[in-house]
Amino acid sequence: MQGNSRDDFIIALRYALLKKGTKQKFSLFFLILFSILIIILDKLSFTPIKTTRAVLNDFVYRVTMIVVSPGKLVTYLGSKAIKHINIYDEVKTLRSEVRVLKTSKYDSLFLMTENKNLKLALGLENVKSNEEDTITIARVMIDQESPYLKSLIINKGTKSGIVKGMTVFSRDYLIGLIVETNYLSSRVLLISDLNSKLPTIIQDSDVNAILSGSGDNNDLILEYLPDNFVLEPNRTIFTSGKDGLLAIGMPVAETYLNKDNVLKVRALADPQQALIVHVTRGQFRN
Amino acid sequence: MYIYKHIKKFLLESFPIILLYILAFSSFEGIKEIQNIALFSFSLQMIIIYIYVLKFQDYLGYGHIFVAGIINDVVIGTPLGVTSLTYLVLCFFTSYIRNVTLRSKMTTEWFTFIPAIFFSNLIYFIIINNFSNLSFYYVELLSNSFFTFLFFPFFYFFFCNYQKIFKNE
Repeated sequence: MQGNSRDDFIIALRYALLKKGTKQKFSLFFLILFSILIIILDKLSFTPIKTTRAVLNDFVYRVTMIVVSPGKLVTYLGSKAIKHINIYDEVKTLRSEVRVLKTSKYDSLFLMTENKNLKLALGLENVKSNEEDTITIARVMIDQESPYLKSLIINKGTKSGIVKGMTVFSRDYLIGLIVETNYLSSRVLLISDLNSKLPTIIQDSDVNAILSGSGDNNDLILEYLPDNFVLEPNRTIFTSGKDGLLAIGMPVAETYLNKDNVLKVRALADPQQALIVHVTRGQFRN
Repeated sequence: MYIYKHIKKFLLESFPIILLYILAFSSFEGIKEIQNIALFSFSLQMIIIYIYVLKFQDYLGYGHIFVAGIINDVVIGTPLGVTSLTYLVLCFFTSYIRNVTLRSKMTTEWFTFIPAIFFSNLIYFIIINNFSNLSFYYVELLSNSFFTFLFFPFFYFFFCNYQKIFKNE
């Protein structure tokens, strides 16, 4: 009896794996083996596989751009309509912001002049900065998020000199690093991704920490803070430059109190709003 | 007139394939956010594959499922072949369920969807953990699987009715 049920089980398994069906061209068994082979080849990642993947990526990204465009148009029209409805409040907020910015403009002008004079006094005026490096402007092709990777695809690749590890800015704020390059496109790993780790320093302190993502742009994590350190709200978090790649002092995030009065860290840039981005070799984009 | 009829038939017949490819290209995850309020995500691809392999296997080939998985991997950025293998494992389970089921009922098919999702996601976890350096958002994945299971009846009725209408035409 037991033997019979085992036989039935094996027959059902074999049938499921090997039977093609009337309109099936491939058996499941063959396709499963083929998938495993592709995973292994992708893991080994030697040059022909890399090239094939890069070509496939470029092709798929371009088709994706066409496929998602109607959805994007709907989102765009929706956000435009909401913006129009909220325009009165926005004008009021902007007016008050302009007032504050006008006063702070004079402070920064004073600091710039002071900095210039001090550099002259110290003989640092001829120090060549990284900022002379080229900045590549790219357009965001795809900004679909997945449960595994918070990333976006830009329309510049190795053809435009993009290499892995380059920094990406949107509206003067760091949004992520290049993690994958193809000939005509690249993937940007956002700072909100779980795999993103940035060496940072907190405003008005000499405390270093690692800023890592949690998947949520409004809930980043500051790791390796000293035990007795108390984080305060409204503090900006800057890059510390300790990784040797990113320039020092780039604002990336800020602390804030959420609705439940819990201190959180949020990214300054909003990747979902990013349409045009600037790719640099680690220096500040201003 | 004959060409129009032919094209119409072809489009109606290929609806699940076209939908699967669109979902793969757009890496559809359901309604994720409305005005910064996080809602839910679910895998419509898995629902389509499960329903069609279980009930209308002649309309969705394994080859298309495999290619859709590859496309999804490229768009999402996971190692190539992972999603394909996940989908194929789901197909394997579904095919096994189809072979051992004598009488088809929506409720039984809904509950057999649980082990099918579980094993296919398990394969996904194992491969991602061993073949890549990616980290998981475990809670998000769990909620994704839960909502995929929850929305199954709705899509079950939708696709079954669609096939009925299509066959009648």
